[in-house]
Amino acid sequence: MPQQLQWYASTLSHYVGAAVAIVALMWLTNRGLRRLGLRGDAAMGLALVVPWLLGFLIWNAGPIVASLYFSFTDYNVLQAPKVVGLANYEKLISGDPNFWPSVRLTMAYSALTVPIGLVGSVAAAIMLNQGVKGIGLWRTLYYLPAILPAFVTALLWRLMFLPTRGGLVNSATEPIWSLFSDKPPGWFLDRDMLLWGFVIMSFWGVFGANTVIVLAGLKNIPRDLYEAASVDGAGVLARVRHITLPQLSPTLFYLIVMGIIAAVQVFDQPLFIQLPPGSPTFLNVYLYQQGFTLFQMGYASAIAWFMFVIILVLTLAVFRSSTAWVYYESEAKR
Amino acid sequence: MTFREATAEQVGGAAVLVGSTRQGRGGLRKQLRLLPVYILLALGGTFALVPFIWMLSTSLKSQAQLFVFPPEWIPDPVLWSNYAEAWNALPFSAMLMNTIFVTALAMFGELASASLVAYGFARFHFPFRNALFVLMLSTMMLPWVVTLIPSFIIWRVLGQINTYDPLTVGSLFAWGPFYIFLLRQFFQTVSREIEEAAIVDGANSMQVFWHVMLPLVKPVLLAVAVLSFQGNWNNFRGALIYLQQPLERFTMPLGLQFFQASLSNEAPRWHYMMAMSGLMALPIIVLFFLAQRQFIEGIQLGGVKG
Amino acid sequence: MVAMERRRWALPTITLSIVLIAAACGSGGGTAAPPGGSGASAGTGASPAGEKVTFRLTTWAGEDEAKELQELVLDKINAEATDFEIVHEPAPADYYTKLQTTIAGGTGADFMWLSQEYVAGYASRGALLDLTAHLAAVDNPAAKLDGYFPDVIKPAKYQDKVYGLPWIAQPVILYYNPKLFDAAGIDPPDDTWDWAKFRETAVELTKDDQYGFTANGWPPIQQFIWQAGGEVITDDLSSSPIDSPEAMEAVEFYKSLVWNEECCPTEETITEQGFGEMFKAGKVAMFMGGAADTFDGLDVVGATVVPKGPENRANLSYVAVTAVNSATKNPELAAKALAALTDGIHHWKIVAPRPELATAEVILASIPEKWKAQKEGQVDAIVAATEEMRAFNVIPRHQEWDGLFWSEFQDPVFHDKSAPAEAAPTAREKLEALLP
Repeated sequence: MPQQLQWYASTLSHYVGAAVAIVALMWLTNRGLRRLGLRGDAAMGLALVVPWLLGFLIWNAGPIVASLYFSFTDYNVLQAPKVVGLANYEKLISGDPNFWPSVRLTMAYSALTVPIGLVGSVAAAIMLNQGVKGIGLWRTLYYLPAILPAFVTALLWRLMFLPTRGGLVNSATEPIWSLFSDKPPGWFLDRDMLLWGFVIMSFWGVFGANTVIVLAGLKNIPRDLYEAASVDGAGVLARVRHITLPQLSPTLFYLIVMGIIAAVQVFDQPLFIQLPPGSPTFLNVYLYQQGFTLFQMGYASAIAWFMFVIILVLTLAVFRSSTAWVYYESEAKR
Repeated sequence: MTFREATAEQVGGAAVLVGSTRQGRGGLRKQLRLLPVYILLALGGTFALVPFIWMLSTSLKSQAQLFVFPPEWIPDPVLWSNYAEAWNALPFSAMLMNTIFVTALAMFGELASASLVAYGFARFHFPFRNALFVLMLSTMMLPWVVTLIPSFIIWRVLGQINTYDPLTVGSLFAWGPFYIFLLRQFFQTVSREIEEAAIVDGANSMQVFWHVMLPLVKPVLLAVAVLSFQGNWNNFRGALIYLQQPLERFTMPLGLQFFQASLSNEAPRWHYMMAMSGLMALPIIVLFFLAQRQFIEGIQLGGVKG
Repeated sequence: MVAMERRRWALPTITLSIVLIAAACGSGGGTAAPPGGSGASAGTGASPAGEKVTFRLTTWAGEDEAKELQELVLDKINAEATDFEIVHEPAPADYYTKLQTTIAGGTGADFMWLSQEYVAGYASRGALLDLTAHLAAVDNPAAKLDGYFPDVIKPAKYQDKVYGLPWIAQPVILYYNPKLFDAAGIDPPDDTWDWAKFRETAVELTKDDQYGFTANGWPPIQQFIWQAGGEVITDDLSSSPIDSPEAMEAVEFYKSLVWNEECCPTEETITEQGFGEMFKAGKVAMFMGGAADTFDGLDVVGATVVPKGPENRANLSYVAVTAVNSATKNPELAAKALAALTDGIHHWKIVAPRPELATAEVILASIPEKWKAQKEGQVDAIVAATEEMRAFNVIPRHQEWDGLFWSEFQDPVFHDKSAPAEAAPTAREKLEALLP
């Protein structure tokens, strides 16, 4: 125990030191910029973002620049990188037979999980919003799947999706699959089925979290809109279409953007569920294997930047399209 | 900064908290009309709950009972002793203390720094504000795999490998873009008039922040606190990379790994792993359940229009 | 008023923060090592006289294994040694991620476990210490390289230099379920069996829901190619003659087993019921596994050496090595500590990679109490198997090579997507591109 206290004390002293230093720097920034003649508003704003700016410069900028540099090198992690120009990007585009299948699997996964998760969570949230009794318990119940560490979620589902007749899912669904085949589904061990295993698992995980986000969005829709609609004699579906969905669109927008980022980068689940040999894997796992199993951190960095661009493009596309379908209160008022 | 993969799931929790409820009015007739809704909700709830029950069930089995056919929901015998055995197999008492220490520091750091930065992004006009904000969001898009080694080297240069520093001190530098984003959204919803009134009364920006803005977004702060607690409590990969030995220095998620199959032929100890996972999830469930009421109250009292 | 107060605090605040930052950096420089071993760098330094040098050992040991390693090996060594101490840093999950990150970051442990396929890769990239000279000076049986099985010391070497000491050499043996043999009235396998007899019996034992043998990529096809007199990577690491007549013969034989309903479960059945689980459940009569394998659910498990191929009875040895970080501070002492550690493990694990310890008595003593009953009868087979066990010929890019060998050759051939003779030449070309 005294030993532990020593460890704590050491970290605590650095923690307090860093906190004081940050505050001092914020104060100095505010003062300094004002003295240099910046508007008070601007000086204060910049001073407030100093903690993030510092963190970015110390822990993000370096690694980001480093990884961009590595992507143009042959870097085996254990020795200094050697610059190879665009070779890694060329390999990725045309020289690696396993890369594009991974891209396809990841894209298929994203294309399925983002909309399915969205529809499921909107439906659940709308039901939760009907004034049911015991809402606190329901909400907690629906939030449960989000609380486990990702690797526990993965292992738990691997356990439930055992490809044997005795696996929980397979034995529960025997009446269904036995109609089509005399062999139970192989789930994560079956190359053609594993995508669906992951989609179901992700639905479970996001279901809870997304549901509660949507619920919050629903709560913010003014009641009088519905009341006015009832007066006009609009039916349930019409109300959902003309009031709920437009009013909810900023939330959906947020969920889609975050969903894309999370889905393309899915990692822990496929890492802890071993896929069958020879099967394509998810992009983030693939790049991890390149970097940490095959000593090709240069190539892994190139894949990472490819992923970065994919996510950025998708996100920007959603942003672009948002003007057409996302409804902001502030715009309406203008 | 140790990487912590913030995901949409983490952000999800926030909303729960933020959403106010207007409890069902209307009597028996209305509840009857809602019967289909209850049925559908129960179906969805079952989907959410089944894996947890299976986790509980697995945690009470012996190694031999794990894979019996047909699957057993209630094992015979029920081995409550698994919990004690798993707890004693590794120095979990020390690991629990460490996890609490790390979580408390990191949570405080995240809350303090994220709320200040978010306030800055939400309420002040300064050069490059939008560019910086986009830059902040884009840090979420680069996979952690490739930034792992450079980050590790930074902590090595600071001489803090095998200490709790990489798991805690970085939090003061606003390492969670999700939280900043979320808080910024809510700061933006606070009406300017409240703020201006305070300024007319002679308050400076920090006083406005402390006395006006923070109390108004208290529900969201609590939400971020829950998410942050959860994220740090479950932080496995940061602990794996930065903590080396002895076992008494490890955190609980790292301890859990010992029950998984290693490269050796040892079989995974599903029952122990599920027992400890369950114990680890317990504080989060309790926190969430308690907190959601607080948030709702906070919204009603604070009068924030979410 | 408020402003006044702020100003009064400003100077002390800044002074304090600068002092604290300085303090943080100062203690961060690695001067003050936290008690219990610091992570500052490999081999926490040359010690003042009389004090023990601390060496850090990182392994993939899980819960039980880590405990045994500590109690049965490390505690003893640390108590006996006067000049060093070994501290264990287990990392059961994501082991190689942690290993590479810490080595790249300059804080890798002094000693690390490496599976045989990894040594050449780490050595060729400069991460490991050349122990050749240092070991020669150590007085410990585990440091004498000629005390090891010649084939097992091979993966610990790279370009004729020694980079680590093997701590385990687990041969593949043929396990069988005596009950199924009795029921069928067939004599169980013994050391007179060859491929033909083996397959024939496997077919005989296959009926209804019972199978004679099982294969799905394990046992490794390399073993069969060796038995036919072929190679997948030659000893001089210059070619991968997987299209040689010997290799082709082995591939054809392996193909007559893998997922073949005549003798073995199909791929679907294996997926459904589990590979090893089927043997444990008494549905498979013969199973090839590592010498330390145990099977819960079965009372009696027989074992013998694997059947003989056209040329020999080679079997794959699972070899793992403890290697030394090239950044370790005190190489001579490290070699001494490594030898002590390795000798300790040799008396703990089945099977020690040294002929003098691969005896029935030592193996019997190493079997955990819990498995004594099942494994006692297998000891003779294990000892016999060590005589013809082989390790892989390993190249620096071995993982990549292995991946290609599966995806370009075994996978298409086993799945009847291409004939062995067709797939082999093109696969060979790709594989050889990875050779040094």
